[in-house]
Amino acid sequence: MNSSRSRFITLTGAAAAAAGIPRIADARKQAVTDADVSKLYDAAKKEGKVVWWTAHFAQEAAEKIREAFKAKYPGIEVEFIRQTAQVIYQRLSQDLKAGIHELDVFASTDEAHYVELKKQNVLAEFQPADIDKLPAQFRSLDPDGSYQLGSLAFIIVNYNPAKIKPAARWTDLADARFKGQITTGHPAFSGYVGNWVVAMNDKYGWDYFKNLAANNPKINRSINDTVTDILGGERTIGAGPDNLSLFKKATGNSIDIAYPQDGSVLIVAPIAVLKDAPHPNAGRLFENFVYSREYSEAIVKQGHFPLRIGVPSMNGMTLERIKWMRVKAERLASGVPEVVAKWRETFGV
Amino acid sequence: MKPSASEAQRTQFDAGALVFVLAAAALALMVVLPLGWLFATSLQQHDTGRFTLGNYREAFTASIYLSPILNSLILALSVATIAVAVGTPLAFLMTRTDLPGRAILRVAVVAAFVTPSFLGAQAWMLLAAPNAGWLNKIWVASTGATHGPLNIYSLAGAVFVMSLYNIPYTFTFVSVALGSMPSEMEDAAAILGAHSLRRTLSITLPLALPAIVAGFIMSFLEALAEFGAPAFLLIPARAQVITTQLYLFFQYPSRVELAAAYAMPLLGVTAILLLAQRRLLGRKRYTMIGSKGARRNLIALGRARWPIFALAIVPPMLSVGLPYLALLGTSLSRSWGRGPVFGNLTFYWYHWAIFDNPEAKNAILHSFSYSFVAATIALAIATTVAFAVSRKLVPLGGLFAFVCMAPFVVPGIILAIGFFSAYSHPPLLLYGTAWILIVAFATRFLPIAFSNLMTALQTLSVDLENAAQTLGAGRIRTLFSITLPLLRTGMLSAWLLAFIPALRELSCAIFLFTPSTAVMSTVIFDFSDAGNFEAVATLGIVIMAITLVLVGAMYRFLGRSVMEAQSV
Repeated sequence: MNSSRSRFITLTGAAAAAAGIPRIADARKQAVTDADVSKLYDAAKKEGKVVWWTAHFAQEAAEKIREAFKAKYPGIEVEFIRQTAQVIYQRLSQDLKAGIHELDVFASTDEAHYVELKKQNVLAEFQPADIDKLPAQFRSLDPDGSYQLGSLAFIIVNYNPAKIKPAARWTDLADARFKGQITTGHPAFSGYVGNWVVAMNDKYGWDYFKNLAANNPKINRSINDTVTDILGGERTIGAGPDNLSLFKKATGNSIDIAYPQDGSVLIVAPIAVLKDAPHPNAGRLFENFVYSREYSEAIVKQGHFPLRIGVPSMNGMTLERIKWMRVKAERLASGVPEVVAKWRETFGV
Repeated sequence: MKPSASEAQRTQFDAGALVFVLAAAALALMVVLPLGWLFATSLQQHDTGRFTLGNYREAFTASIYLSPILNSLILALSVATIAVAVGTPLAFLMTRTDLPGRAILRVAVVAAFVTPSFLGAQAWMLLAAPNAGWLNKIWVASTGATHGPLNIYSLAGAVFVMSLYNIPYTFTFVSVALGSMPSEMEDAAAILGAHSLRRTLSITLPLALPAIVAGFIMSFLEALAEFGAPAFLLIPARAQVITTQLYLFFQYPSRVELAAAYAMPLLGVTAILLLAQRRLLGRKRYTMIGSKGARRNLIALGRARWPIFALAIVPPMLSVGLPYLALLGTSLSRSWGRGPVFGNLTFYWYHWAIFDNPEAKNAILHSFSYSFVAATIALAIATTVAFAVSRKLVPLGGLFAFVCMAPFVVPGIILAIGFFSAYSHPPLLLYGTAWILIVAFATRFLPIAFSNLMTALQTLSVDLENAAQTLGAGRIRTLFSITLPLLRTGMLSAWLLAFIPALRELSCAIFLFTPSTAVMSTVIFDFSDAGNFEAVATLGIVIMAITLVLVGAMYRFLGRSVMEAQSV
């Protein structure tokens, strides 16, 4: 036991540091056990920290996740940068161009980023031990295991229940009763909004947005701006995120969400460990932690949808009870630039 | 054998030349290298890296890229005009009249200057959003109108907010100029019977023209390069500007080459402005011997004192008073959307910002130390180059001046890319350290220090320097015993003018910081991006309170004369 453990450390620690890729990566198609996780933890402790760039969460939620990780795995520091998906992607691109290896775990909300990074062959392929704790349809986002599920979110109708009855369907947003009431983000600034616009365009055609334009929506940048507009009373209804809306509702604000009958838009945001991560074991340990009970419980408190089976969501909704649609990553890659051009023509910005 | 006088002078000149060569080398590393890299990028094909002019063709023929340029020009021209129109009389009132409440006004101008304009923009969104804005709500409640008159989400709204936070440039430039201006000419005019208004219009203001022009250029360039306020206010107004369009070029799939091409003409704008400044000022002679210490009698405003005070307090109220009131209200709310009702009041966010959040504390420490070093570097380079250029000690002075001014107009987001490329390889491996932020801040605000020093040098006659040299003093000795003492006020204000914007710099920092080098602006922006207004407001107030106290102490310690210039 002792010898096998030290052998593992030799493999994952020293060899990994030398090669930059730990052995566990080769075992991605094999079963990974809890014992492997504790070995990973031992090796990660030697590395001392993990560097995590995330667009999945607001600052506060990211801090809570760090606390939960450090409580479960004492001895490993978590350094994170929380920025929008485009900012962390641009930073990573710069790093890769310059040959700088500072990042372990990359958590963008834009699935297209991972398709591109995989093409560049910079992501580590591995199978996290606890990936089988996820709903079956999300266990192999990438068949080669170079990235995995990092977060789930829904774009829904958010609204002020004190002022308005919500739209039952997305198409109802074109009703005259919502004139001057609607708030949205911008598909060129926000990955979530881009996802929603492609979904609507593919379902209803671009006329959907021409009709919407007649209601003079307020156009912001981030999808989170819809929440701000509703809380402040600037507008009363939006195409917004489930997570921040629910979190603000829980903290006593007059905001609620409605799942449109014609389908909420599911956002699947991946997570990946870099091939040349400076802390490869800590990075893998962190990614595996994403599938832990502690992680899902921590994010649910912030309004986010749980990843792990068996952890209830904040409002008790489940994947089965919500009618949802999802735009595939390949379609997003071609669709977002296409709808952004149309958007700028229709809305003038 | 004793060295002859001329030999001694030559060794001293050589020492001066050495200092200049060092400054020029620093300029090459800080400005030419990153901008050169950007220029090279703008000429590359996206995938292959091969030479192309296609980026320029695309950037300047597509109409969706042209309208942001027009919007930016309108915005910058309006902002600069208003900032100068308000900042100049304010500076005059504060330095030349017995206006009451000058101390309060001075603090307010400094407070406006240290406020990041994106924070000001957010506060104004709370105040003047068409439906939710508090001022509009008050209007509706008191008049019974269906909606309020203000709409901050408009080009006019953005011009308004950005002008407010640009007033301090002109104000400080003109204050320094008025303060270091000798009183003889004005006295002569007074003896000849000229009324104080006539004296002001025909003597004082023309003498302050270089400072006014410098303030205009500074505000114009800053408004062109600003990202935060236009992003918050102009996207809902359905108008793109150059910086928001540049941001879009970095969306996936990112077009760094196109962005570089799109930003390059901004350098052309800078060159044109500098040439215009030279032509405008070059015809006239503004130099005067800095006979500082001359007591000046303040113009008595008489019965108009208080009405004028009421007028003068309006800009500070709009840039500091109302916005901070809005932020204070938000910071004391459990959830700001519920408004100021009982049970919504809490000190939770202050506890969180001061005790629970170690990032905020570190960020304040980082911001101050980095900005301190950066402003000092900028001042050293600016002083050397400005002296050499204004005294025509080096050939190609105009080129050096351009190099010093160029970084200001390149939007931070673009400049950051240039810095990153220039400093992420050995031997200049600065990325990941505090130095890349320090160098970035020093470079970004070098233009302010330089412009301020050129202004100061232009109003300083060379006669005293020539006299000293005639009497056998070398250039270095002349510099240290004549020029620098006379320049003291100008140098202090240049340092502060570089230091303060460095404290609030966001657009470069966001690409160059690492978790261990986070600064105030990146921390605040994190929360504002996530829509957490309570946290933004609280951090904004805590950080700005500390900044104001520290900057206030510096003003007292270092630069009493900067703001108070000759007013007592």
